[in-house]
Amino acid sequence: MTRTSPTRGRAAGAGYALPAVLFLAALFAVPLARILELSLHPVDGTGNPLPEFSLVQYQRVLTEPFFAESLRSSLLTALLVTVLCLLLGYPVAYALARTRPGVLRTVMFVIVVSPLLTSVVVRSYGWVVLLSANGAVNRFLVATGLADAPVPLLTSYLAIVVSVTHVLLPFAVIPLTTALGGIDGNLRRASQMLGAGPIRTFWRITVPLSLPGVATGALVVLPLAMGIYITPLLVGGANRPLAGLRVYSQITSVYDYPVAAALSFTLLLLTLLCVTVLGSGFRFWERRLYG
Amino acid sequence: MTSPDPLRPAPAPAAGPAAHVVIEELAAGYEGTRVLDVPELTIRRGEFLSILGPSGCGKTTLLNALAGFVRPSRGRISVDGADVTDVPPHRRGLGLVFQNYALFPHLTVAGNVAYGLKVRRVERAERRERVAEALRLVGLEGYADRRPRQLSGGQQQRVAVARALATRPAVLLLDEPLSNLDAKLRREMRVELRELQQRLGITMVFVTHDQEEALSLSDRIAVLNGGRVEQLDTPERVYRAPASRFVAEFVGAANILDGVADGGGVLRIGDTVLRTGLPGPERGRPAVLALRPERVRLHTAAAEPASADAGSGGAASGVLGYRAFVGDAWHSEVHLAGGATLSARTHAEPPPLGSEVTARWSAEDVIDLTTAPAEEAR
Repeated sequence: MTRTSPTRGRAAGAGYALPAVLFLAALFAVPLARILELSLHPVDGTGNPLPEFSLVQYQRVLTEPFFAESLRSSLLTALLVTVLCLLLGYPVAYALARTRPGVLRTVMFVIVVSPLLTSVVVRSYGWVVLLSANGAVNRFLVATGLADAPVPLLTSYLAIVVSVTHVLLPFAVIPLTTALGGIDGNLRRASQMLGAGPIRTFWRITVPLSLPGVATGALVVLPLAMGIYITPLLVGGANRPLAGLRVYSQITSVYDYPVAAALSFTLLLLTLLCVTVLGSGFRFWERRLYG
Repeated sequence: MTSPDPLRPAPAPAAGPAAHVVIEELAAGYEGTRVLDVPELTIRRGEFLSILGPSGCGKTTLLNALAGFVRPSRGRISVDGADVTDVPPHRRGLGLVFQNYALFPHLTVAGNVAYGLKVRRVERAERRERVAEALRLVGLEGYADRRPRQLSGGQQQRVAVARALATRPAVLLLDEPLSNLDAKLRREMRVELRELQQRLGITMVFVTHDQEEALSLSDRIAVLNGGRVEQLDTPERVYRAPASRFVAEFVGAANILDGVADGGGVLRIGDTVLRTGLPGPERGRPAVLALRPERVRLHTAAAEPASADAGSGGAASGVLGYRAFVGDAWHSEVHLAGGATLSARTHAEPPPLGSEVTARWSAEDVIDLTTAPAEEAR
């Protein structure tokens, strides 16, 4: 091989990314542009898009409670799920980070990522089995007298939160484990040598230094939770007030594609807004922390 | 209330060297292998004690046992008469400077130094004063608001020392604190550290694998090998009267003359025969002698000294096989007839390579290690 100049090397590097770029352009950017275009058309009485352009679909999305409520509910649910994932994931990540590589750690890790390794149908069916009228939870509630009759758990808000948290938990645990594992153990020891006990050391040293992992976890889990619909669909049915489910039902049963497109786009913008706000918030914090 | 030197530790109850930290029958190990076995070690108040040894000798384990991070499998550690063996690190009141400094990256320099004071609930005004004092002590007054990563290695080192001193620990432990610095800075920090220690009168326990550091800093050196203290003595004694062959070789370079006495002060090492300068053990008895390279003088055959001088002391003849200028001296190797090699460190330029030379030394410079405990097979 002959010598290559740095610029040529860089150009060659960009060339390697070309297949992925083409793939994304064809399968992501083009459909996205198509949906945007679709969302700008009014419809006739049967839901067929009319040729002229208008913002009427966005007006419907923001004013009709059926859509507006679902956006609000998706946002609040996503925030709740994000917080739950971080709270539940933190101790797990802490344990993982402090376990030496070996069989135990591998087993722990496989358990953590098991929701991702399971098919969404199997996973959701598992929740159905647990939460249905004659499922394990209801039988326990009735047997212990905590409830007189089976509680409709499957269609409850709780079922959505629990099942979505379940599947998104690994996305919080993985960055948290990386961040916690990257903290120099001598910092903890230094804190102890300066008189701080384990609890104070945890709050003063470990937690602040794991903040980048918290930020990454939140920035991954939140968008996923905003758009999630298959898990809540399979667990609680299509009639739950989540934006993703509303898009789904508009497409599969109402056949109003333009309003589905407008709702999709509004959800996307809302998600981008949340990620931006959250991301800059974390960046601000990190800059305050590290100078 | 402001004392003239607010970082000076609480005054010693009694004047003079007193037992400050006492280690008794200490043993520690991981998974069955014993890495530390110290029957007795007393650290005096206000002394600078170095724990010197090669990697894996147990020095870090000893330090961690003192700090409380390693639980000894046996034995007792007491500080000022109080048994601290089962006391967790954060209640021992000791300071530790880490090899990698372990500064908190999310806190400023002042925040790092104030950390231990906040933990102790020191009032804000006093805290600020003590942080400033600690930073002044290490010459970093203007750096209070910087972040650790904005500092050079030497500055980070000083912050680590200031942070550890701010809480006025009973003993300051230092875990190879200079090993990440370049040679020039290391020499400077050595002087600073020693001055600081003498000014504050604080007890310092300094772990190092660098014999030069240990020699130049310490009041006493504990030479550790295989988890055992081979010698605990002043730097001069450790250097001039090493207690074992290991100490002789590890602290400063040494020619080890390990052979069989031939009577009349003659030692036979394999096929090499040399005059030791000592009356020597009886013929046929094994003998181990050590000779510092800087105590060896080189003479060419032409410039042999008068016979009066030649008669006393030790001598061996050979060919100059290697010579190198090392800055403040010349380092040469003399290949003796019969195969043995003798190192010499001379101020005068040695004769050219291949010259016939006679190495000479005075009898009082020969260190007799024959009766020193042999190194145990481990």
